[in-house]
Parts: sequence; C-alpha cells; structure tokens
Amino acid sequence: MSREALQVQQGSLYPALHRLEYKKLLVAKWQPTETGREAKYYELTARGRAYLKDETENWKRLTDVVGLILKGTVEGIS
Amino acid sequence: MSWLQRLLSRKQLESDLDKELRFHFETQVADKIRSGIPENEARRLARLEFGGIDQIKENCRERRGTLWFESFLQDVGYGLRQLRKAPGFTFTAVLTLALGIGANAAIFTLVNAVLLRNLPVVDPKSLVRLGDRADCCQNSGPKSDGSYSMFSTQTYEQLKRTTPEFEELAAMQAGFENRAVVVRRDGSQEAAKPRMGEFISGNYFGMFGLQPAKGRLISDSDDVAGATPVAAMSFATWKNVYGENDSVVGATFWMNTKPVTVIGVAPEGFYGDRMSSTPPDFYLPIATMPDEMGGKGMRDPTQNWLDLIGRVKPGVAVVPLQQKLSAELKRIYAPDPHFSAADIAKVHLVLTAGGAGTQSMQENYASNLKLLMWIAGLVLMIACANIANLLLVRGMQRKAEMSVRTALGAMRTRIVRQLLTESLLLAGIGGLAALAVSYGGARMLLMLAFPGDQHLPISSRPSIEVLGFAVCVALITGVLFGVAPSFIGAKAPPADALRNGTRATAGGASLLQRGLVVLQAALSVVLLVGAGLFSQSLGKLQHTDMKLESKNRYILHINAQAAGYKDQQVNALYRTLEERFHEIPGVVKVGVSTFTPMEGNDDGYGVHLVGQPGIQTSATNIIVNAEYFDSVGTHVLMGRGITAHDTATSPHVAVVNEDFVKALFKPGESPIGHRFSAGDEPAQPYEIVGVVEGTSYTDVRRNGKRPMYFGPLTQPSEAGYAGAIVVETSHPMSDMESTARRTLMEINSNLAIQKFETFDAQIASRFTHERMLSTLMKLFGGLALLLATVGLYGVTSYTVARRTSEIGIRMALGADRTGVVAMILRSALLQTLFGLVIGIPVAFYGVTLVKSQLYELTTVSSDALLMAVAMLLAAACVAGVIPARGAASVDPVRALRSE
Repeated sequence: MSREALQVQQGSLYPALHRLEYKKLLVAKWQPTETGREAKYYELTARGRAYLKDETENWKRLTDVVGLILKGTVEGIS
Repeated sequence: MSWLQRLLSRKQLESDLDKELRFHFETQVADKIRSGIPENEARRLARLEFGGIDQIKENCRERRGTLWFESFLQDVGYGLRQLRKAPGFTFTAVLTLALGIGANAAIFTLVNAVLLRNLPVVDPKSLVRLGDRADCCQNSGPKSDGSYSMFSTQTYEQLKRTTPEFEELAAMQAGFENRAVVVRRDGSQEAAKPRMGEFISGNYFGMFGLQPAKGRLISDSDDVAGATPVAAMSFATWKNVYGENDSVVGATFWMNTKPVTVIGVAPEGFYGDRMSSTPPDFYLPIATMPDEMGGKGMRDPTQNWLDLIGRVKPGVAVVPLQQKLSAELKRIYAPDPHFSAADIAKVHLVLTAGGAGTQSMQENYASNLKLLMWIAGLVLMIACANIANLLLVRGMQRKAEMSVRTALGAMRTRIVRQLLTESLLLAGIGGLAALAVSYGGARMLLMLAFPGDQHLPISSRPSIEVLGFAVCVALITGVLFGVAPSFIGAKAPPADALRNGTRATAGGASLLQRGLVVLQAALSVVLLVGAGLFSQSLGKLQHTDMKLESKNRYILHINAQAAGYKDQQVNALYRTLEERFHEIPGVVKVGVSTFTPMEGNDDGYGVHLVGQPGIQTSATNIIVNAEYFDSVGTHVLMGRGITAHDTATSPHVAVVNEDFVKALFKPGESPIGHRFSAGDEPAQPYEIVGVVEGTSYTDVRRNGKRPMYFGPLTQPSEAGYAGAIVVETSHPMSDMESTARRTLMEINSNLAIQKFETFDAQIASRFTHERMLSTLMKLFGGLALLLATVGLYGVTSYTVARRTSEIGIRMALGADRTGVVAMILRSALLQTLFGLVIGIPVAFYGVTLVKSQLYELTTVSSDALLMAVAMLLAAACVAGVIPARGAASVDPVRALRSE
C-alpha cells in the first residue's frame, strides 16, 4: 500500500470509509467472498466519482504550484 | 443512511462494524499463516498493523455523528435515576420550584389580563379615550380640578361634529352599577330577570371594527329618535343563557316592560369597552334610552353620563388634538350658569390610550397587583436561594463520587455536562409542576379577587411570556449552583479529594450556603411582617364602628322604573311594599330607601344653608321611609328621625348626619330648625328636624368625613326612585329570598329582585380587596417561611452529616446529648438571627412603601413584628432540632468507624 511510504495503521481506513459512506460518496454492500464469508464491498457513487475528480485536480494544482515554488527556491539557494 | 436512521439502527451498525473489522483482521491473519508464520505470531503482527480494534471502533462511531445524542440520552437516564435515588431532595427541589415559579406565573397572569391587555378589537393602538378618570356613573356641574372624563349626550354630539381628526368618536354609558335592565323573552313563561344593559352610540361597534357573530350589530340608523328599539346581545349571554340558539336573532324581548328586537350577537370574546365583573349582556342605542329607562336625565344637557372613545385618523398628533378638544369643551360649558369664569378657565381634557377601554378595574387593582408582583418576586428569590442551597449541598456530597469518576478516566467536560443535564432535568420537572400551580393559583386569585363572579372575562390560563420568564430564572439558578460545585470539585486532583474523605470539623457548610439561609430568613421576616400588617389592617377595617346593625337584616334591590312605574305611582308602591313585607311572619322592620349602608354607591349634591351665599359643601342625599333608620340600626342623636307623619303635603324636612353638622355648623351650634337647599331645583328648602349618627355608606375609610342628608320618601327631592328594601327579622330566615320574590310577584309581576344579600354579606363584599390582599400576604408569608425552613433544615442536616465523626469523637470524650443538640441548634439560630437583623429594617422600609394600602397603620406594629419573629424562630428551631437530635443519637463507635 503506497509502497509502505505512509506508515498508517490499516484499521484507520475504516472511520474514513464510514465517513465517505455517510456522505454518500461511497456505497457499500455485503457480498460473499470466494471463501464463502460475507465481506463489505465499497464502491464509488456518481457523486463520489465527481468529487474524486475535483479533488484530484485540486491536488494536482496544489502540487504543481508547490513544485514551482520549490523549484524557484531551490534555484535561488544554489 | 440518514442521521436519524443511524441513531435508530445502532445495534445493526454495531454488529456490522464488528463483522467488517473482524473480516479484515481474520483475512490478514489467514494471509500471514499461509505465508508460513505461526498463528500466534501472525495474530500479533496483524494486530500491530491493524491498530487497536476498540479505538478504531470508537472512531467509526464518532463518524456516525450520533454520539453526542446518545450520551445525552445516557445522561438523562442517569440523571433520572439519580433523582429517583434521592426522593427527598428531588421532592423538595421540585416543590420549591413549583411554588416559586407557580406563584409568580399566577400573579403575572392576572397582571397581564387586568393591567396590560388590550380590548379584543381592531387596531387598539389607534384608540384614544377622552378623559383620564374612571368616574361613575352620572354627575353634573364644574369639577374642582377642571379635568373632565364624563360627558352629556349634547356635549358628545358637539365634540363629534367638530373633530374631523377622529375616524369615529363613540360614546358609551359610564357607570355599570346602574346598568341593570329587566329582561323577559317574548312568549316565554320565565319571570323577568335583571341583566346588564349598556347604552352605546350607533357607531360604537363600527369604531371598534367589530363584526357580528350572528345577525347585525347596532348602526347609526338605530341610534336616532323614533327608531325601532333594537339591541345587540353579547356572545357570552347568547351562549350561556340562550344556548347559541339562532332564533334569538330577530326575537322580541321585553326590556323594562318595553318591546325591543334583538338584531344580532356581538363577536365572541368581546366583553364590552372595559374589563368588568359585570360585562354587558345587551347593547342598546342611546337614542332609545328615554323610552326604555323612563324617568329623567339622559337628554339633560347638564347630566354627564357618557365615556367617549375615538379612533384617530393616521398621522393625527395627540397634543394639538387635546388642545383643540379642551378649547371646544370650554366653548360648550361657557354659557352654563353653573360654571363661574374661574371654572371655565380650568376646563381641560386629557387624552389617554383607549386600547384597553375605560379601565376602571385597572385603576382599582393596579396598586394591589403591583404589590403582589413584588411579593411574588421575593418568594421567587427565596425559592431560588433554596434551590441553590440544595444543589450546593448535593454537589458537595457528591465530591467523592466525582473524584472516583475522574480517577477512572471520565473527562471533566463529560462530568460537567452530566451535572448540567441533571440540573436541567430538575428545572424541567419543576417547571411542569409550576404550570399546574400557576393555573390553580390564578383561579384561586380570581376567586379571591372577584368572589361569586362567573362572568369575568379573564382567563386563568398562564401566559407564555410569564412562564418563560419564571422557567428561565429557575434554569439559571439550577445551572449556576448545580454546576459550580462540580467545577470546583473537578479541579481538585482526585487523589486529594478521595483522601480527604469525610473528616471535617466545624464550618461544615460554606459561607455561601450560610449567606443564602440568612437571606431567606431576612426575606421571610419581611413577608411575615407584611402578612401581619395586612391582616391587622383588615381587622381594623372590619371592626371599625360603622354605626349600624347588621344582625338578621336582609337587603334587596328592585327597580320600580324598569317595572314601568311613573312618578305619580311610586308613593303608592312604597306604601304597598311596607304593608306586604310587614305581613310576612317574623318581619320586625321594613326600611325603604335609595341607598343602604356599605352599598358602595351614593349620590352627591351641592348644599347651601339658607341665608349664606354659595355652595358650602357636597353632601349625599338619601330618601328614606319612617322605619328605615331602625332597620339599618342608625341611631337618632338629636331631634327626631323621619316619621310616618312626613308626607307629600307636610313641611319639607330633612334629617342630617353628624358629619353634615360638623361641616356646616360651629361646634355647639344646634342645627335643628335651620334650613338648607340642595341640588338644582329644590321646590322648597329643607328644614333640619334631626341629627343621626354618621353611618358608613361607601367606605369605612370615609367614616366621619361624608356629610349626608335624609329626606322623606314621599317628599320631592333630588334622588330618583327608591330601590332598596331593608328587612329586619326577629330571627335568621334562610328562605327570605324566595319569600321576598313571592311577595314582589304578588304586588307586580314585573318587579324582579335585582340583588339580594344579607346585610352582613353586603358589608363583607366591601372588603373583598382587603381580604384578598390579606389572604395572599398570609399565603406568601407562609410559603416564604416554609421555604426558609426547608433551606435551614437542608444546611443544618448537611452540616451534621459532615460533622458526624467529629460529633462521634466529642461524645466519645464525654460530651452529652444536650450539649450536642445545643451546639447544632446554636448555629442554626445564629443564621436566623442574622436574617432578623437584616430583615427587620427592610420590613420597616417596606411598610413606608405600602402605607397607602394599610388602614390606620403607618409603621410596623409591635404585634406584627413579634408574631413574625416568633414564627421565624419557631421554624428555625424545628429546622435545627430535627438534624440536631439525629446528630445526638449517633453511636460514637459507629460514627468513628464510618470513615
């Protein structure tokens, strides 16, 4: 997961998932797995997909700007 | 899933959460085992990677957004359990709140209804009343201060013509004791009954903007001379007497023996133009008055009998209008020979807000109600002090509990929130109980203030604002004193608090607690002194020598005019009345007169002695028959009374009272033989033939101040027809009313009894105000005492509980029971004494504020003071002795071990 660069405990995924579910960005349903046990499967809703797209773009813009600033700063230092 | 669904399906969510997390965890473990890691190690690694399951669960729960509500429900449940566990505390607190808030709400409900409420009419704010006094019922001539509030029909019409500033200017009959009309529905078998009728101008309903509930209301075309006599019925009468029967509209009613058509019903809730315990049953046009009422007066330009209320046009300023009206009034009165130039110069008119009507009741009750409001406020303060004290004590007692909870990891905010919930719960329950108390209280106040009146248009439903205010006060007190100790408690490191345990010696209760008890004691003294003074005042009033005899006397009122009698017939009627009533077995004396003692109404005229210029005094005129003075117990002091030999043809004579002599003659001068004239048109002056005692006729406060003269019934006078019959019997006769009714029916079936009372009841009803005040003061004083006792008891028993081990040690070392009791009692009494020291000067000051409402009392009387102090000390002893005895019966061994 993320090449182990982020040391996050796996369990902390769940509060986030639940929150997204309550915000109707995800839908969840219980389905049997290959082993026959029931597991909860999450799926993005249309709203979730749109939200993801927006946020991804925001993130990109932010990192681009930060990259530009850093580039300038690094050049200034050297 | 919505918030509400999440809240309701908590169980499902919990099991899903568990299942979901377990699945993740188990899959991880299974993966690790499959890669060759032993199961124990696999589980440990998976747990490390996953994180603490319970922490994550709690995090997920928080995401639901329902947690605060769930913990609130928990708090409520816990709070209720706590309150149930301490029934004594809960009961006391709820009772205190209920009484404190309820008493306030009840009083404010009345204040709101009587003092603040507007008439239920369209836009009451644009209504203006001409005049600022509630005069009754009819008068004439110049006023000494030049301010006029009642007007004649002619003046009304003149003012209406000359003031385009008014959209409408309406007139209504001023007095209401005089408003009885005798009514019988055409074709019905029932006897004619007296009802309230009010004469109004044709634009009255239009001016108020009222719509009929049925039929139509009176209009200008009904209020012209020669119009068909009509009447509008009040909604209350239509409902209560005629069962909302539609056939009433258009039906003929016999009013004072004249046929009148009822054309419609006034809207529901409209109780006339003033708050009164006798609201009108019928509204009648002024122009038809001479026909229906007969007699003299209403067309007389000098007789003032109308209140005026107008609706001003938008944008009209009051001050110029007032000046214009005053100038107009001067012009109207100028040609009147009764007015001197100086009288005319003084003539003016004050405009007042007319939205609440003519407001005579407001004037009567304003000072009483304001006083009661102050007192209710004091009681609320005492109640709040009590609640504060109870909660403080409870908070201190629960210090250990809070420490344990803190030690176990409860957050301070959570503890404070929980205590807050408890306080709010308590205030909520108290508020609900207060609702019941205020409803009952307002009903009781109404009954005390207006005994026997079912028609009063005041509802005892408490108003929202009032309850809101009172509940807010209770909430603030509860929150402040319920949470403060826990804040202080929660600050202390739990270990310290736990270690301290219960070992405490003197000074068990804090200064704040003692201060609150002192305050309660002080306020109670003030109220108790007040209660004592008001009941003394009532006693003095009732035991004033009114110079009359009320035993075995019955007074009934009839209206000969309403029954259709004419001037030349009444003398015969009087004779018949005397004869027929004397025929009733057991009757000793039969008095006939215009007014009777302590009836509350009279009729004054200017009097001047023959041979001396100008009016010398104003005196009340009553015409009486020969047996009248004996029948009411007034003694003749000098000369003779009225006798059967004073007839229409004998010399014109009068008997005067001692106050008349005092006002017009020098000390020692005999008034017998002097002549005086009175009123406007004395056919001949009166010759004074006797002097009687100054019996009280309106108010005992006026004893010795009201000159009166009594003329023979059969001789011409200023007074109208005699309507009062006083029957003295040799023994109590419970069936006198029905006997009297039968006797009257035999004389003339139109002679209805308008009012029947024993003489004692008539006198008692003059003291309704004072009795209400005295009863309420006693009630509030008692309430205050009770609350203060509870407060003192609470603090003392708290002290005792805190000092149990100390008392144990003292007793183990040889202190005896009396010593322990005395020690506890001393501190309880000390607080009470402090209260007395503060309260007594306050009581003295308070009396100076209510002096005007007390009779012949100007400062705190020693009786009232002693009584108050004794009651408070007795209460303090009771509140101190119970816990003190408990303390003294402590077994030293057990007390020492109790730590």
